[in-house]
Amino acid sequence: MVDVMTPQTPQWWKKPDVKKTAILWVICTAVIGFVGVEFHVRSMVRPASETMSGVISLMRIFTWAAAPVAGLVGAMCITVLTSKRHYGDNPPAEADHEIRNSPRATALWVVVSGILCLFALVTGMIVLQQDNKAVLDTQAIQINVTGQQWVWNFDYANGARSQDLYLPVNKPVVFHITSKDVKHSFWIVQMGIKMDANPGYTTETAVTPDKIGVFDVRCAELCGLLHAYMQTKVHVVSQADYDAWLTAHAATEAGA
Amino acid sequence: MSVETHAHHEHPDVVGSRNRLGVILLLVADISFALSMVFVYFYLRGQNVNDMWLPAATADRPAILPISSSSAWIVTAVCAFGALTHIYGLRGARAHNQTQLKLGSLVALVASIIAIAIQVNTISSVPFTFNDGAYVSCLYMFAFLNFVHLALTIFISLGNWNRARLGLYTENFWHVDIVRIWWIWMTVSSLLGAFCLTYP
Amino acid sequence: MTTLTHKSVAAPGKSIIEKLNVFTALALGIITAVVVWRLSLAFLPQDADGATMFTREDKITLLSMCGWFVGFMTGIGALVGPFRWLMGKDLSHDENMFLAGQDMGPKRYLRYTTDHKVVGIQYLFITILIFFLGGGLAMLIRTNLGHATGGWIHPQAYNSIVGTHGILMIVGTIIMVTGPFGNFIMPIMIGARDMAFPRLNALSFWLIVAAAVPLMWGQFIGGISTGWSAYNPLASQAPLGMDGYIMYICIFAVSTMVAGANITTTVVKMRAKGMTWNRTPIFIYGTVASVALALPAFPVFFLSQVLSAFDRALGTTFYNTAGGGSGWLYENLFWIMGHPEVYVILIPAIAALMEMAPVFTRRPLFSFNVAIMGIAGISGLSALVWAHHMYMSGWAPLLNAPFMITTELISIPTGMLFLVLVGTLWRGRLWMTMPLMSIFALLWNFMIGGITGIYLSDVPADAFLHGSMYVTAHFHYTLMGAGLTGALASLVYWFPKMTGRMFDKTLSWVSFWLVQIGFNVAFVGMFAVGLAGQPRRVESYAPTFNTGNLITTIGAYTIMIGMLVLLYGVISSARNGVKAPKNPWQAKTLEWTVDYPIPLENFDVLPIVTADAYGYGKAKS
Repeated sequence: MVDVMTPQTPQWWKKPDVKKTAILWVICTAVIGFVGVEFHVRSMVRPASETMSGVISLMRIFTWAAAPVAGLVGAMCITVLTSKRHYGDNPPAEADHEIRNSPRATALWVVVSGILCLFALVTGMIVLQQDNKAVLDTQAIQINVTGQQWVWNFDYANGARSQDLYLPVNKPVVFHITSKDVKHSFWIVQMGIKMDANPGYTTETAVTPDKIGVFDVRCAELCGLLHAYMQTKVHVVSQADYDAWLTAHAATEAGA
Repeated sequence: MSVETHAHHEHPDVVGSRNRLGVILLLVADISFALSMVFVYFYLRGQNVNDMWLPAATADRPAILPISSSSAWIVTAVCAFGALTHIYGLRGARAHNQTQLKLGSLVALVASIIAIAIQVNTISSVPFTFNDGAYVSCLYMFAFLNFVHLALTIFISLGNWNRARLGLYTENFWHVDIVRIWWIWMTVSSLLGAFCLTYP
Repeated sequence: MTTLTHKSVAAPGKSIIEKLNVFTALALGIITAVVVWRLSLAFLPQDADGATMFTREDKITLLSMCGWFVGFMTGIGALVGPFRWLMGKDLSHDENMFLAGQDMGPKRYLRYTTDHKVVGIQYLFITILIFFLGGGLAMLIRTNLGHATGGWIHPQAYNSIVGTHGILMIVGTIIMVTGPFGNFIMPIMIGARDMAFPRLNALSFWLIVAAAVPLMWGQFIGGISTGWSAYNPLASQAPLGMDGYIMYICIFAVSTMVAGANITTTVVKMRAKGMTWNRTPIFIYGTVASVALALPAFPVFFLSQVLSAFDRALGTTFYNTAGGGSGWLYENLFWIMGHPEVYVILIPAIAALMEMAPVFTRRPLFSFNVAIMGIAGISGLSALVWAHHMYMSGWAPLLNAPFMITTELISIPTGMLFLVLVGTLWRGRLWMTMPLMSIFALLWNFMIGGITGIYLSDVPADAFLHGSMYVTAHFHYTLMGAGLTGALASLVYWFPKMTGRMFDKTLSWVSFWLVQIGFNVAFVGMFAVGLAGQPRRVESYAPTFNTGNLITTIGAYTIMIGMLVLLYGVISSARNGVKAPKNPWQAKTLEWTVDYPIPLENFDVLPIVTADAYGYGKAKS
């Protein structure tokens, strides 16, 4: 790929700037890949579902896939910048060549970017397929989510209703999401799922929590005055605790 | 419109072809505008959110029934007639027949006035209020599009007739040619609305 | 001027043209607005008791704003041309020369002046003003977010600031290259005497001025509390300020269409003799791609706002689900415009840097054809990707996959642009100037913006990232890190041609490093909080996001200082800068062949082009 400018020279790879770029390419790729992955993984929340773990590994894969391209651009830029620079008010002498294109380099570039693009697509499609299937799971726990300015309401199959979400661990859940007023977006941060709550429509998303703990629900679509405060908690508990909670709350609902 | 560079008299054909391209490009924008209205119509019709495309009867008011699209087709027909008479005038200009040009332009102007009169009459006599469901909203939308287009058409064909009357189109008549493009688009855009309203 | 005075005795219509300027426009606009306001207040019927929608105040507001618009445009003289055409009294040569600002001095900047160079300077001025206002609002946002719970701005005001910052910057970045440089430089670059339609050119500028007032007006009647995307139904319950937004978008959309038709026609029809398509500079391609892309895109935005106005002022139900409307309809209309729009911003900025790359590396542009393919590919694909903004809206889950395909395909033409820039830098002779370094800055920023774009285009990853600060950081990397960098480089590069003086070198460097470092600090911090789960457009956040937000705020202040240095540089260099030679960069495009001050019609004798503008390299010299 670095033969860009020297199609006529038979031993283009022996040119010093090409060698330098090749070494820099390896270094840049490693640095960009490593830093990119570490930055993303360390910044991201700890996953509380397989979906979220999937998102994190996707980011890993994509970062490493993109690193060689970014690394090559970076390596070439560094080589160029560390070669002779000219300061001053008048231009330097013109370059010692007038190469206007390199079909080989162009073809290689397009093919490689095409392959990377295809790779990203296939990877994404596979995961997308799994996500789409999860929504159709009729065995899953069905919960109705209603957004309104500026709270979330959760309705369970037995008539219980809450503003904190309770879920059993390791059980698939399907959310049926709608809104009473304006558009909201239902986001369980640590589980890596998000779906807009649209007035007049019901949308679905699904997840299987795999960790016991308390996680965050935030609204991810500007919904007016107190959008920033439209947050609540998800309590992922054991099946027994969940059943107990559900029965207790169904009773109060019926009594009320 | 006649927009000429402020300097150096250029050959009218050069100016004419430049103006023609400019108008066509502006029409690209307008076509995109009208087509997105068609999108709005069929999107809302397909979604039929809360069954409110054509709301059923309630305690306060009867069910909303779509009005006949015939008046929309009549407006379209009048526009088509206007376009044809304009083209008739243009042919007159090409044949150096100024009388034919003046006559064609005048009849086209009259057609645009008749069309807007029909349009205003239709929309002011529909038995709806603005919040009678999505179909009614779309009906007003197309009426609005036609009204604005027809108002522009009156302006343009008035100018066209006036300039023909003053004898400005004896040598160069690329203005008339460009107005023809507008007339055709006016007809087509009116037809788009009528077509949509035929499928309530 | 003498001929004009002489002739004005003969033709009484001329006196009107002479009288109109920005002051008559302001006066007439204000008077009309007040009159319409009082009349509608007096005559519009009250809302019925128990009406489902209260629309009277919206009607009054929108009518008054329309009154302003009509009054202003009449007062500036926009209607003179059409009515003279109607009456069959076309403007004479002398009148046209007067409109072009012949021998008029600085006053021509305050008029409906048709000279493309005047319009370019006017655009530059309003772009700077927009960035100043939008940047000020950004600083308010960042200050408010500097510490977790210390939001000192009321949420309603905060939301309005976010929305206004958004829409100001969108408009500012749309016009930042095609406005000043597309108008001032482009006609000279292709060897034309003026734009194809000089009056439409003036119209496109004054429409932006006319549009700005409703937006500012809206700030005082409730603000734009919906973000720049103004999603319905949130927008239909927003205060009256929303009407200001609607008017602003509608007028601006018209301005964009007019400018698009004008610039495209100019390039297609008015290139100098011998300037075949493969000798046309790449900047011209970028400009045309940008405005031609806007041409079909902005009417859709226009329609979305017209329908929004109908919903608010008449009570129709396009977006109101209770009446059969759909919020998804709005989102579709909005993003059908919204995605081409980001390339409208980006393409001319990158093309401008491509234009500079051969100049500052003293070698030919690498792969001119690939550059054109890249620009064309991006333009074509950008019309097919809009729904990636709606992956998580649930409007059509089955369409997510196709839109993912089109979105990721766009990385191929985008990669071509990288290839062209990197290929041109390779084995060039670097002339270390701020525009050259901007190319490196663009590569860096756009690489980050592009790669993060791949994560966002992936539906499963987007399920986590959508609506978070990550998105905000991503599009700032593309629009600001890439787009604005190109525009600032253009400013320094073409400054000598526009003002006759060189841009102060030291100031350009200081501002460059402050802006670029501040930018990367600010938005890397924003990436981090986005990944940690901070939603967009929030006025307060959980304490875990403290550090990231503080870093972003520090970065933002650095950008501010850098931009102020740049502003100072513009003013001081324009006043006392070193007088520029005719061709300070030794570039080969046509705009460097004319002397400063550039004569009214640019060229005495129209140039004939015999080669492209990239003939650098040893063999040529």
